[in-house]
Amino acid sequence: MRPAVLTDRLLGWVLTLGGLIGALAAFVLMVEKVELLKDPSYVPSCSINPILSCGSVMVTDQAAVFGFPNPLIGVAAFPVVAATGALLLARVALPRWWWLSLQAGALFGVGFVHWLFVQSLYRIGALCPYCMVVWVVMILIFCYLTLANAERGHLPAPRRPTELLLRVHSTIPLVWLLILTALIGVRFESYWSTLI
Amino acid sequence: MPKNRVKNRQLTRPPGLSTNLKVTLGVLAAALTVVLLVVATKLTDPKTAEVVRADSHRLSTAADGKVTIVEFLDFECEACGAAYPGVEQLRAEYGDRITYVVRYFPIESHPNAYTSAHAAEAAARQGKFTEMYVKLFDNQNTWGHQEQSQAAVFEGYASELGLDLARFKADAASADVAARVESDAKDGLSLGVQGTPTFFVNGERFAGQPTYEGLKTAVDAVLNR
Repeated sequence: MRPAVLTDRLLGWVLTLGGLIGALAAFVLMVEKVELLKDPSYVPSCSINPILSCGSVMVTDQAAVFGFPNPLIGVAAFPVVAATGALLLARVALPRWWWLSLQAGALFGVGFVHWLFVQSLYRIGALCPYCMVVWVVMILIFCYLTLANAERGHLPAPRRPTELLLRVHSTIPLVWLLILTALIGVRFESYWSTLI
Repeated sequence: MPKNRVKNRQLTRPPGLSTNLKVTLGVLAAALTVVLLVVATKLTDPKTAEVVRADSHRLSTAADGKVTIVEFLDFECEACGAAYPGVEQLRAEYGDRITYVVRYFPIESHPNAYTSAHAAEAAARQGKFTEMYVKLFDNQNTWGHQEQSQAAVFEGYASELGLDLARFKADAASADVAARVESDAKDGLSLGVQGTPTFFVNGERFAGQPTYEGLKTAVDAVLNR
């Protein structure tokens, strides 16, 4: 079935750019982590103030849940997303198992990112700018990949709701991100109010 | 092939703004409106922050009231610990010629920032704020940067200072003490304090180095005026 809404071109660009931006953010985080390991007094480039601070986030246990720094996952996985996007743009047909594997990876990624979001807001109490870039691209990639897989029949999905969601495809990640933004706004309300 | 693609796109694209774009822009506009409304209500709120309040803790009080130094600090912050010896030297040298005020500004990312501030405030309720302030900074390396609550360590300091331990524990856990710490932090935020230590000399934000020399220069500048 030829996708009518999420064309190869649209999905290809979302995956390519999302993958590249995610990879870059993960890479920078990894470099900062190495700097911090070399010199514990190093202040990462994204430690701007008590709220916007990678330094205080990077030294926590949550920053290495699986026993190694989290950004390593991104450094390895985001390029796969970008490459998939590039293949789409090059009009290479990919098998269903490829899409389902990518879907599984994106599901893990988006779940992980939300766990980190909760930890960052309610346990650590600081936001790390590069991490937030990863949150955003992860949500975009997940939304578009899932919708596209549903439209293309890789994922079993009821037709009606799928069509309805496809008609407002960019509203879905937007609303999602706005909810997270609102949570951040409320959590650090006393800080933001000093800026105005 | 390219011809085909163009045709295809024309077929799938309805004229004018797509439903998707309309809905997305609509949601975005709604969100921006909400943000603007919140900002507008905040801006019309009068700001009532003060650098020093009547209940602020003074380590020393100058009779002539010529120089008042206010330090917003977090007992667990390394930079505050680094500034501490300089501050103590300054206090020893100037004694009651300067008013030295300490205000709480716990930094969320320090696990025991609040616990230590609450301990200091609980000690203050028994008239031993300065003593607890000294204890906390002298021993920052012992209790700082540990994920576990250091409340027991602070209780140890309280007994060393001869405080009524039962009262200290109750105070440290009380909502009243928490609110007192919070009100200091709120003033700090309203004054634009973003990190610790932040000093104010006679109500003006001190921009120099938070060292003995830096603070002394600022104090002397006022005293010799």
